[in-house]
Order: sequence, then structure tokens, then C-alpha cells
Amino acid sequence: MTTTDHDVSRSAAGVGAAFLTRLESIFGEHGLIRQPEELLVYECDGYVIEKNVPDVVVFPESTEQVVKVVNLCAEFQVPFVPRGAGTSLAGGCLPVGGGVMISLTRMKRILEVNLRDRYAVVEPGVVNLHLTQHLKGTGYHYAPDPSSQGACTIGGNFATNSGGPHTLKYGVTVNHVLGAEVVLPDGSVVQLGGAVEDTPGYDLTGLFVGSEGTFGVCTRVTVRLTRDPAACRTLLAVFNSVREATQSISQIIGAGIVPAALEMMDQGIIEAVEAAFHFGFPLDAAAVLLIEVDGLEVAVDDEARQIIAICQAGGAREVRQANSPRERQLLWKCRKQAFGAIGRLSPSYCTQDGVVPRTKLPEIQEFITAVGQRHAIRIVNVFHAGDGNIHPILLFDERDSDQVRRVLEASEEILLKCIELGGSVTGEHGIGVEKISLMHRLFDAHDLDVMRSVRQAFNPGGLCSPMKMLPTAGACGMEHVMQKRPGRRAAL
Amino acid sequence: MPRVAEPIDEYLPTTPGELCRWMAENADGEQRPVYPVGGRTALRFGYPAAAPGITLSTAQLARVVDYPARDMTITVEAGIRMDDLAAVLKRERQRLAVDVAQAHRATLGGAIATNTSGPRRYGLGTLRDYVIGVSAVDALGRPFKAGGRVVKNVAGYDLCKALVGSLGTLGVITQATLKLRPAPEASALVWAAFDRLSLIDAALARLAVSSTRPMALELLLPGAATAIAAEAGLDLPAHRPVLCIGVEGAPHEVQWQIDELTSELAEFHPHDLVAVNALESLRLWFALTEYQVVSDEPLTFQASVRPSQAVEFAACADQLGISVQAHAGNGIVLGHLSDRATTLAAAHSLLAPLYDFVRRAHGVMTILNCPPDWAHGLPLFGDLSPAWELMRRLKSQLDPKNLLNPERFFGRTPRDA
Repeated sequence: MTTTDHDVSRSAAGVGAAFLTRLESIFGEHGLIRQPEELLVYECDGYVIEKNVPDVVVFPESTEQVVKVVNLCAEFQVPFVPRGAGTSLAGGCLPVGGGVMISLTRMKRILEVNLRDRYAVVEPGVVNLHLTQHLKGTGYHYAPDPSSQGACTIGGNFATNSGGPHTLKYGVTVNHVLGAEVVLPDGSVVQLGGAVEDTPGYDLTGLFVGSEGTFGVCTRVTVRLTRDPAACRTLLAVFNSVREATQSISQIIGAGIVPAALEMMDQGIIEAVEAAFHFGFPLDAAAVLLIEVDGLEVAVDDEARQIIAICQAGGAREVRQANSPRERQLLWKCRKQAFGAIGRLSPSYCTQDGVVPRTKLPEIQEFITAVGQRHAIRIVNVFHAGDGNIHPILLFDERDSDQVRRVLEASEEILLKCIELGGSVTGEHGIGVEKISLMHRLFDAHDLDVMRSVRQAFNPGGLCSPMKMLPTAGACGMEHVMQKRPGRRAAL
Repeated sequence: MPRVAEPIDEYLPTTPGELCRWMAENADGEQRPVYPVGGRTALRFGYPAAAPGITLSTAQLARVVDYPARDMTITVEAGIRMDDLAAVLKRERQRLAVDVAQAHRATLGGAIATNTSGPRRYGLGTLRDYVIGVSAVDALGRPFKAGGRVVKNVAGYDLCKALVGSLGTLGVITQATLKLRPAPEASALVWAAFDRLSLIDAALARLAVSSTRPMALELLLPGAATAIAAEAGLDLPAHRPVLCIGVEGAPHEVQWQIDELTSELAEFHPHDLVAVNALESLRLWFALTEYQVVSDEPLTFQASVRPSQAVEFAACADQLGISVQAHAGNGIVLGHLSDRATTLAAAHSLLAPLYDFVRRAHGVMTILNCPPDWAHGLPLFGDLSPAWELMRRLKSQLDPKNLLNPERFFGRTPRDA
């Protein structure tokens, strides 16, 4: 690959010819891309409202290569950002300020599986679902199951502390990470935690998980494996009103039942999902709950019966039970691919990720409906109800700038309401760049100072994933970017 | 408000605000070392203090701040005793699913700071899985918080994780929000004594694919088995190595698992097998939790190895005359040295084969308790990995004047500033 004058001038801000030559000597022509049309793919993740192309994308195949690129960035003071599959929804891997994107998708080996000791060691580019498929038949699985699990990587899950439907019972990513090998921004390789439990000192593994790529690059993850449930029952409860559905959720949790998963889909989503998958959802229902209980064969029927009784008492007009593994799989396919079906409803959508205490679900859902009406934005809902983790999906056409403005206003109102109800602005998608401006609503100056100090311990020069997670003097959230780069909004 | 200038050795703040002012005044003024304490059950953990300072007790910060039981979370101040917390939760048929010994004394803040756990960690995890929000005061007197009051939350860095197990070196924990679990309707333990440890090892391998889902997999060598049976007031066969398996759930679920475990273990020919039910099981759970408590033994350690190595490690320790209990499903082995180890040199030579073992096994051995004058002669936290340099950086970022438990993790280091 040769360096053209055009490229040099475009990269003048940070990435010069000398840097690129050195980078090419590390990665060769197949381990690096820098043509503008190729870089376009990397201009954003699942959060498409803000975009920026990196100057160059590299594809390391080993920890050594990651060390080399990180050292080179330190030497030339070029910012870098790690990236998995780019499925995150908050702009966590947006290359703010350009620089080098370190794509970890070629580091995708499953290095070790140890069933007796309940762990696996994987490279960060291993796709979440591939690990579970690899374990099929062993009686064990990797529990965190984000809806994007067919594409998202374990490294990305590690960076964002991903959730998923079954985290209600089994916990989120951090509850399943035992250790990691990381490359710090100074190029040092450090093993945090590992296959044995309770390694002494601070739980840097736990701190690193969810740091959204701002501490360094994870190059190897040791994950906990979980026994497969002996049995499960999957139920579909159909409601004529959203309020009855959300109240039933509170009743189930309040009764001391911890289902494996408890998901809600409202009418708008049911319509799209039914058109896509023909499951047989009732199109006139206001909401359905998808509920799964798992455990021992001797216990699951009792739990399922209790849940059916609670739903019926709560006004469910019908509670169905999946009769075969195939039917269960189809139900979960409908749920997990609901986002894909939204294309039938609207050219663009913006998914929000608030959390409220579970007893506040009826209140927040009514608020969301009112916000949608006030801003004339259609909002549909599919979410992890059992955790109180809402996902209102705001439908719009990004070619209409007034609609975009209304979507952003409505989103912010919903998230501020979540805070008011005692919740959070993100349950599993992360802060990224999208929600930086909301951080000071959740945390005060001391909290943010301490978080900055923590980042300083890992990433003192700030070259790794700059301008993410924490509000920084001189930088703002998306409003600023929207004004500065209105043309960077693009179709989904 | 007490003044730092006053010759006090213990300070008991009554509100977090008062604590902040006091810490700020100390940091700006005398800069005396501060040693936070809860129930004082684990003060021997880590390197001893090099300089006299002020003991900061959270005893008066013990309120229940918010308990929305139907959300299955609770927010409490850190000085609450574990027994008091359990009593509050029991009224709603809920619990914090972590075993903490000496619960009548131990506080939540202390349990978090020492990352305490017990037998049920096999099925239910440890405090890092349950602390979803935390408030603390740093060494400069700045209050800070992280996480929140909802069960799922990824906003900001997860400082809860940094504080769990931090031994009071990063901040004084003032309040925590916990994720709760429903209390199980019933529980039971299967106590099986075997002729040989190799049979237990094989049984543990079998249990990794058991049709049951145990909450605890405890390995007890005869010394520990005898002491635990006595503590529980139960007449249990304790002269042979014991595998003790705990299950919980609805009564018929518990009974089904006892039957199933009995038949799964049959192929390994247990010498004796007893199912411990109902109230007796509560006493046995209690004794299993309490045994790790330091009493008058000269030295107590915790080794972390892979679960598949736990039996071999336990055998090695047993041969050295060390009393051994292992959370075998987690590879956590707790050992109490007998009082024959009267000198540091004796302890050294006794522990040498175990240090060799953990090195070979890529595990680690932590000393939980030893006489203070031995501490600098023993690697209390094992061989220090490169991650320790990062930990030092974290400590100096959050406590730049090195005031909070200055030596506990890193030993005697020159104080900055």
C-alpha cells in the first residue's frame, strides 16, 4: 500500500507518513486498511447519530501486535480505540479525533475450555454465540446472551459489561468474567485475575469490565462457564393493556420468583415481529410477556404455575406455554431479532436503554407513551422487564431534521425520568459518546473526579478511547456534535 | 465534632457528612493515618500499621436507608451488623446470599472491604455479585458514589468492584445498595465421609455434571470435620475426609436433590452418608461458615487453586498437620496452622511446600492472619504479579497522601507528601 499526497494531508492532524510506514511494517498490507471507502464501515457502531472515520484500522492477530501498535501510538501521540464487532449502541467505539482503530475481530481463537474448573479462555474477537455453540453438548454454556450475540464479541461484551435476557437470573458479563489479559496504553501487558478465584489485591478485572475501552485493550478473557439448566418452561402471557402487563411483572418479582428471563414486547413490536417471523402473536394484544423459568425438572412446573396464576390475576387474557424446544427457539428468535424487524416500521430508529426500579415500570411506560404523543414520535417497546431495563425504540426518518431533533428531545426526557424514578440512563448499552451529557445528572462533581482519577491510573495520557464515558472540560455531548457535523447523520 | 488536634484514638462519625468534614480536616492538617473498622473481625488481614493513627469506626452509621422489598434491593449504611441486616431482610423472606462469619459482630462495610464469603459462594457467588451501588468517602474527605439502586446499570466506572476487597485502602465505605434474593424455603446438606481423598476427588469430578445443582461443595479433612460437627452440635462421622454438599429450594426440590446426590455418590462408596435436614441443617451451615474464623491459631491462610486441584492441595496441607476446609467447587482452601508453629521460621518451613504447590498450579496463597511481627517475613499476598504496580497507581490516585490504611496492602512504603 502506498501513501498518496491526499492521504497525508487528510491525516496531517495526527497520523503522518512516518507513523503509517511503521504501522505497515507491523501489520503488512493485509492487516491494515486506510482507503477512505474501506474506512467508511468503521465510522460508527450501532449508534448512528454520530460518525467519524478513523485514520487507519489495524487488525492484530496477537497480543504482541497489539502491544506494538499501542507503543507506536504512544510514541507518536496518536489516539487509538479498540473495537469488537461494532454492535454497541452508544458510540463506545466511535474514533473521536480519528487516529487508529484496533479491530480485534481476527483474534478469535477459543484457547482453552476447562469444564471441571468451569472456565474458558478466549481471545476478544470470539463471537459470543460461537462460544456457546462450541460448548454445546458439554452441559455448560456462557451465560451472558445479548440480543446481538450472533455478531457481538466477547471482548466487546467485556468492554461494555453487556447484558441480555437471561441476565435476570444469571447476572451480566462482569459476573462471568474471572480475569483478562490487557494491554495498557503504555504498552505493558498485565494479567488481571485468572482461572483461580479471589486473586489478592483490588478487583481490577471487575473495574476493567464496563470501562468501555477507556483503560486499555483486552487481548484475552477468562470467562466462567455455567451449567445448562436441567429444565425450562417458556411462557407467553398476552395482555390487553400495557399497565396490566407491567403490573404483573412487579407482582412476579415481588412474589420472590426469579425467572431466568422476563421480557416485554408491546403492540408495535408484536406487529413487526409477527410480519417477520409468523409466530402467531395476537396482533390486537397491547403487550405480551415472554417469561422463562429454569431449574430442576421437579421445580419448574411449580414456578410456571405460580407465574401463570399471577398473570391471570393481573388481567392476562391468555397464557400460552411453548410446547416444544422448536417453539421455544422460535419465541426467542422473535425476541432477539425484534430489532431487525423494526425496519418494517420505519426507516430509522433510536433505541434507548434506561433502567427503573422494577416497581416503577407501569409509571415509566405511561410516561413514554405521553412523551411519544407530545413529540409526535412513534415509540415501540421491547425490553428486559424483569430487570427494569427499558428499551423504548423511537421511530423516525433521519432525513427529516425536525424529526431527529424531536427524537433526541424525547430520548432525553425519558432518560431524565428514569433518573427521577431512582434509576439509570443505561442498563447495558453504555455511556459511550451518546450519554456523556447525562453523566452529571447521575453523578456529582466528586463522583466524576474520582472516576477520572481511576482512569488516570490506567490511561494517564488519555490516548486510549479519548472523549468517552466521562464529561471532560471542553467537550460536550451529542448536541454539540449535532450542531458541528449535521451532515454526519446517516441512514441505518 | 471531634477535632483532629484532640488526642483521640477512635473516631465514631454519626453521619457521612460529619465524616467527610473530619477526613478533609485531617488531610489538610495533621495527616494522621486513618484505619476504618467495622466489627473488628478481620483486622489482622494484611500488613500491620507502621504508625499510630486514628481508628475510624462506622458503628454509628447503621441505618436502613431504603428497602423497597418488591424491587429486591436494599440500601443501608455500612456499619450495619450482618445479623441485623439479615433480620430486616428475613421479614420480607429475602436475604443477601453471601455467608459472613461472626455475623453478630461483622458489619456490611467490613464484609465488603474484606470480600468475605463462605460455602454458598459455589452456587450464589460473592459480594462483587451483589453490591450494585456504593457510597464512600475518600482520604481527602470527598464523598463519592458509584453504581446506583437498580439491578442493572452500566453508567460510569464500577467502583463497587474496586471497593470490594479493598481492605479500607481506597475509601471509607459509608453506604451500599445490595441486590437481594428470595430466601429459600428449605435447605439441606449431604455429609459423606470417605475412606480416601482420591474418592472425593472422583466424586467432585462427577458432581461437575450432576443432575442436581448444589449451592455448596465443601471438603473437610478430619480435624476440620470434627470441629465443625462439634460446633453444629451434631453427631456426624468425622474421622475420615468429608464431602459436604449443600442444596436449597422448595422442600420437594431439596428432597429430590438429596436422593439424587445419594445415588450419584454411591459409585464412590462413601463410608458413611448422612442427610442433614431442617433446623439441623441451619446449624451445620452456620458451623461451616464459622470455621474459617481466626481464633487462637498462629496463622490462617486462604489458597486459591483451580477446583480440580483443591483435593490435592488439601491433602498436601493435611500431611503438614494443617486443619483444612475447602470450598472445593471454587478451589478455595482455608488452612489453620496448629500451635506447634511457634516461630516465623517454623511457619516458613511448614508453608514452603504449599507455596511451591501454588506456584506450580498458577494459584495464589494469601495469609489472612498471623502475628504482626511475622507479617514482613511472609509474602502475605503471595508472589506479586505485574498487576500490583497498577494497584499501587490506583491507590495513589485515590489516596495521594497515603492516609487510608497506608501499609495494609503494600507493606511499609515511604509515605508520599
